[in-house]
Amino acid sequence: MLDVVIIGAGPAGLSAAIACRESNLDVLVIDEFPKPGGRLLGQLHQEPTGEWWNGIKETEALLNKANALNTKIKCGVSCHHIEKTDDGYIIHTNTALIKTKKLLIATGAAETAAPIPGWTLPGVMSIGAAQVMTNVHRVQVGKRGIVVGVNVLSAAIARELQIAGIDLHSMALPVKNTVTKDHAHPGKVMDGLVRIAHLAPSAFLRFGSKFAQSAKVREMAVKLYPSGGVKMWGMPIHIRKAITKINGTNQVESVTMSNVTPEGDIIPGTEEIIKVDFVCIAGGLYPLSELASVAGCPFRHIEELGGHVPVHNERMETPLEGLYVAGNITGIESAKVARAQGIVAGYTIAGDVAKAESAMQDVKAIREAASIQFHPQIKAGRAKIHRAFQEYV
Amino acid sequence: MEKTIICRCEEVSLEDIENTAKKHNCSAREVKLRTRAGMGYCGGRTCRPAVDAVLADVTGEKAGHQVPLKVQPPVRPVTLSVLGGTHHDN
Repeated sequence: MLDVVIIGAGPAGLSAAIACRESNLDVLVIDEFPKPGGRLLGQLHQEPTGEWWNGIKETEALLNKANALNTKIKCGVSCHHIEKTDDGYIIHTNTALIKTKKLLIATGAAETAAPIPGWTLPGVMSIGAAQVMTNVHRVQVGKRGIVVGVNVLSAAIARELQIAGIDLHSMALPVKNTVTKDHAHPGKVMDGLVRIAHLAPSAFLRFGSKFAQSAKVREMAVKLYPSGGVKMWGMPIHIRKAITKINGTNQVESVTMSNVTPEGDIIPGTEEIIKVDFVCIAGGLYPLSELASVAGCPFRHIEELGGHVPVHNERMETPLEGLYVAGNITGIESAKVARAQGIVAGYTIAGDVAKAESAMQDVKAIREAASIQFHPQIKAGRAKIHRAFQEYV
Repeated sequence: MEKTIICRCEEVSLEDIENTAKKHNCSAREVKLRTRAGMGYCGGRTCRPAVDAVLADVTGEKAGHQVPLKVQPPVRPVTLSVLGGTHHDN
């Protein structure tokens, strides 16, 4: 029986493994992707300080540390079930049953779909898939595309595609339906955009900081939003235009775009057809918690954290003995936060209270310094889930 | 307007889910059983939040603390030989 199994070789899982190996625990990290790094591998962006965040390099740094400590990492291993036993957990994978005393689930997040007519055509992909194809597999996703869904994640990845030399027509909203409604509402999207405005060059920065002043100003900005969009990195961002349909016979050939009211309703007679050969859909992220769920962990639905998250405390313990969580499964935040949470989890698992406490302070400091918050109320969300843990024990 | 598919695996449309939810004023679970939305190959990983959103809109069923459409193993597509136990090497 192993001391620890870690599911997910992303920033949280790898840093946890390193912390566990420092205490010489018998650790196995598994991941279903062919190589370790998780979604960190795809990340490439310039920080407001001008420095570049290169996910491949960050992954290498973690792997070097893990390898120096002889950490076992198995990729291409997919876990489909977890059973709790009296003395630990049995991990069901596609290759073997693995028995362990302690288990860390660091499975990250999944993308939320924003379904619109035609989104099942070949050539339509999630924005995250486009990121992995571009930055990890180095495959050109298409000749000319459009991004449907305007949010923190899609703006950052659209920029990465641009850097890779891929032609993007623009970013626009999805057509409004009961599923997409929050992503299709210009006012709500504007609120989200204001939060990333400081990441863009001067023109949008000035524009954005004006918007940021008050709700009234934002409301006005939505009303008077320029029909040519506002350019970020030279690419038009439309929040008063929506993609109503993706067209094509065997694959994407074009999209239909229409102007929308400040509430996101289609303005009839404004349709235009835009020729594209790929479409990236961006509906945001939600914690990928299915394994924690089958293991029997209790959950809370916390909007600020991105949806259903396993109940846990700041030490990354869940109410189930020997079960820990770290990274985006605990709430949608940056890879830096995930990496720091992994360290907390690793030290907690190793029983090193002093180091875990100090790592918890690092998590807070990194959160405080983050230039992008996926949700503005992240701290309130964290407080809620930690309270839920107190209620449980 | 063209149909919007919600569950790609089982080809269930937004219209199907909305109509089922309205007609039976039912829970997410009942919608799943009636339409098969979320019962396909991906185990609901793609459409679970979408089915939730429709339910919240149509019946006012708010997301509770339990994960909607109870997650059942296997949570990944696996072959029967893996599930059947001939594959285990401990």
